[in-house]
Amino acid sequence: MLSMKNISKVFKTDLVETHALRDFNLEVAEGEFVAVTGPSGSGKTTFLNIAGLLEGFTHGDYFLDGVNISNLSDNKSAAIRNEKIGFIFQGFNLIPDLNLAENVEVPLRYRGFNAKERKRRVQKALEQVGLAARMKHLPSQLSGGQQQRVAIARALAGEPRFLLADEPTGNLDSMMARQVMELLEEINKAGTTIIMVTHDAELARRAQRNIQIVDGQVCDFTMYQSGERTIEKPHLVTGSQEPSNQDKVAS
Amino acid sequence: MFFYYLDLAWRSIKKTPFLSLLMVLAISIGIGITITTLNIYQMASINPAGERSSKLFEVRLWSQGLDTWSRLNQQITYQDGFNLRKSPVPVRQTPMFMTGFAVQTDDPEFTPVLENARVTDRDFFGLFSVPFLYGGAWDKQVDSEPAYQVVISEELNKQVFAGENSVGNTLYLNRKPYQVVGVTKTWNPSPKYYDVNNGAFNDAEKIFVPYSLAPTEEYQSWGNNQSWRNEPMDTYAQRLASEAHWNQYWVELDNPEQIRAYEEWLANYIEQQKLLGRFEMPDAKAEIADVAQWLKVNKVVPEDNKILVGLSALFLIVCLVNMLGLLLAKFLKRAPEIGVRRAIGASQSQIFSQHMVEVGLIGFCGGVLGLLWAWGSLSLLSAHFELEDALTQLGYSMWVLAPSIAIIAALLAGIYPAWRICSTNPSVHLKSQ
Repeated sequence: MLSMKNISKVFKTDLVETHALRDFNLEVAEGEFVAVTGPSGSGKTTFLNIAGLLEGFTHGDYFLDGVNISNLSDNKSAAIRNEKIGFIFQGFNLIPDLNLAENVEVPLRYRGFNAKERKRRVQKALEQVGLAARMKHLPSQLSGGQQQRVAIARALAGEPRFLLADEPTGNLDSMMARQVMELLEEINKAGTTIIMVTHDAELARRAQRNIQIVDGQVCDFTMYQSGERTIEKPHLVTGSQEPSNQDKVAS
Repeated sequence: MFFYYLDLAWRSIKKTPFLSLLMVLAISIGIGITITTLNIYQMASINPAGERSSKLFEVRLWSQGLDTWSRLNQQITYQDGFNLRKSPVPVRQTPMFMTGFAVQTDDPEFTPVLENARVTDRDFFGLFSVPFLYGGAWDKQVDSEPAYQVVISEELNKQVFAGENSVGNTLYLNRKPYQVVGVTKTWNPSPKYYDVNNGAFNDAEKIFVPYSLAPTEEYQSWGNNQSWRNEPMDTYAQRLASEAHWNQYWVELDNPEQIRAYEEWLANYIEQQKLLGRFEMPDAKAEIADVAQWLKVNKVVPEDNKILVGLSALFLIVCLVNMLGLLLAKFLKRAPEIGVRRAIGASQSQIFSQHMVEVGLIGFCGGVLGLLWAWGSLSLLSAHFELEDALTQLGYSMWVLAPSIAIIAALLAGIYPAWRICSTNPSVHLKSQ
């Protein structure tokens, strides 16, 4: 479903080049639940932004559902984001002026659904996260966990093929985090592919596959099956390569 | 999506009422001033003759002698007015001049009023398409055989005869009885193109009497008079025979052949008059000007008006630059929300459209408020300065023009801020929210 081949991403200023990703290779199959871990500054968020078509990349090929999205126009990228990808952010990112139903409705508006269809999907998505009764409430009237569930409902309303979650439990207490995680697992069981960036090793272990990114490269694939840990394909940075993410002063 | 954007725009305006009000005020003041000057310019520039503009011609004659003003005068002498009536070429033609009367009726309770009047021929009403409420113009015969007949305006008819059909009634003008033969419907061309010498934006006269009565009744000119010769004018007969310019002359010519024929007729007339010792200048000539040319020749729209319109447009630009700055601040503050919208599927063009609709809404509000400013400032000008009423009336077209200019101007000011916000990288703001 998702295939990244030799992706590199370089941020440049007048004086500094920063390699956020280099020779990044990843395959994610349909229906997988993949957790992405790694230290701060390793390139996790950059990977997620590229995967979600929010950022371009410097080199390499990225195929989503078999479509090469390397040189897509903004309109096409936006359409793919809208139809195939759902986002869940650490900070929930709900629009504070809109009530829950209106927040969930936003992506459906951009997709051009009529009012009846929008209403049906909003109702269904909010029911799925257990907040249908509070659809007229504003985000500020909800707890953090509830806000994150609304964000999940917003991501689900468009019935995306895969969800990208950037530390979805980062701002939640452990109980709320567990509830959100259970919700994501349910969604995954229903067939949605999930890629989740997290710092929480405990949560990462609940995913089917754990990918560790270090210095902009995938360095470890770990499969979790029935609680057993198996390192399937180590992919460590070779000695000849300079550590990525290290700033180099341009000559 | 338009209504969705409109809803978002309204929410955004309500969310930042002070900033939105500042923007609306900025654009409304610019629009108010622009519309005020534009209204005065437009009202002064109207060609009230409409489709007939190219068929109606004012006649000018270079009749003055040597050593005097070297140009065609805007008016003609009575004797030329009298003579020109003999031309068989025009479809319609009429000499005229302005006078005035003390108006009385048979009713002893009626307080006499002083009113402007026009001394003219029957053709005046056909030439200038004057509509009638009751009756009509006097017979053609009256143009050569004087009769005490009068056409009055609807307004005067209301004042004197309580608005009833007064045809056949008697009206006293300077104590002389005149029979009412017609009542015109409200008719007030602005500018008053048939006589721009005597107040281009004054109201049309309320009384019309036959030109043929002038020698008998010795109607005095209430308009401007120009004279180049020192000649005796002790009697009315001397005045009629003088070289003083106080009459106007209009003809209706339907096609180029008629125009050529009439110009030829006028050239022959001048040659004939030269033989009689008039038209002393070697290059004496006649010219005719249609309504549009006539308004231009007489500079009915002063150059100052154009400069004022230009200056007010510059002021509007200054207001828009202010608005641009405010919009930029407002939109960029919203970058995190836009980042979310972009992430969940909004394209750059959708974000751009959303913001342009908001700018358009602000522009519309500014246009409506600007219209009120313009109405207020025109009322103020009318009350405190001696501007003609016709110029200070807010034209109907301004009700559409003001919001349209405001929306277009606001959209122009909004392009850059909307482009900036739609082209920001969404991922930058998603983490920071």
